[in-house]
Amino acid sequence: MPAQTDFLRPLPYFSALSDADMQRVERVALERSFERGEILFLEGEPCAGLYALKSGLVRVFKSSPEGREQVLLVARPGDTFNDIPVFDGGPNPASAAALELSTVVIIPRDAILSLVDACPPAAAIVRLFAARLRRMTTLISDLSFRSVLSRLAKVLLEAAAADGGTPAQRLTQEEMAAMVGTVRDVIGRALRLLEREGAIKMQRQKIVVVNAKKLRDMV
Amino acid sequence: MELALPEVDDGKCEGCGDCVRLCPGHAVALIAGKAVIVLPENCDYCADCEAFCPSSAIRCPFEIVMGDGAGEDS
Repeated sequence: MPAQTDFLRPLPYFSALSDADMQRVERVALERSFERGEILFLEGEPCAGLYALKSGLVRVFKSSPEGREQVLLVARPGDTFNDIPVFDGGPNPASAAALELSTVVIIPRDAILSLVDACPPAAAIVRLFAARLRRMTTLISDLSFRSVLSRLAKVLLEAAAADGGTPAQRLTQEEMAAMVGTVRDVIGRALRLLEREGAIKMQRQKIVVVNAKKLRDMV
Repeated sequence: MELALPEVDDGKCEGCGDCVRLCPGHAVALIAGKAVIVLPENCDYCADCEAFCPSSAIRCPFEIVMGDGAGEDS
């Protein structure tokens, strides 16, 4: 569809493509419109492809189990989004909803991947970047939605779980604070609280998870 | 088993002596201008030395492990 050529070609994703590759992308691209408030896709669902906003306004956001939202991006015409699952193969890391009547062009995942297939090292790097970006996205929702105690519980569970076969993780309280996004004093108090709750036991140079379920319930 | 002690990075230690003054067990001393845990039996690994060291020369890392029977449904 010529309208798509005009729209897609100048976008950063496609500006360097050969005409043949561009045509290949255009052949499989789908155009869809969404009413204000309509959901384009949901977090956790399989990825339909890369979204390019042609007109309108779209909110990309993470939701907490309690229904709170953290907006990651307000996409404007010309913006692309949902790149992470396209490249790392995982589910959608966030949801998207139209803030007003919006039209998007969806380019299926396979079509995007085929553009980097010819260069395996580049494909590997992009996949790595996507995985890192997914972790950052998770971190944003952790920082937005979870309390310090909940974030510390998550850090302890992950560190203890990494224990099988590999050397146990060693973390100072300062390092735990940096991972949780707080200061050392708060970690000291949180660890004492977790110990009083019977979730962990502080030993000399060791934090032993004695009740994993209690920690999981806090996450 | 060897007593676990705070780890002092001599390269970073500036010999300010804050750890010596603040250690509740008086376990630390300066030797040749560097912090040394001279009375290991007095150190209860409270990590105050790590918290107060202005040059981040002292680390008190904790091994984080799953306890026996921490279990899935405990």
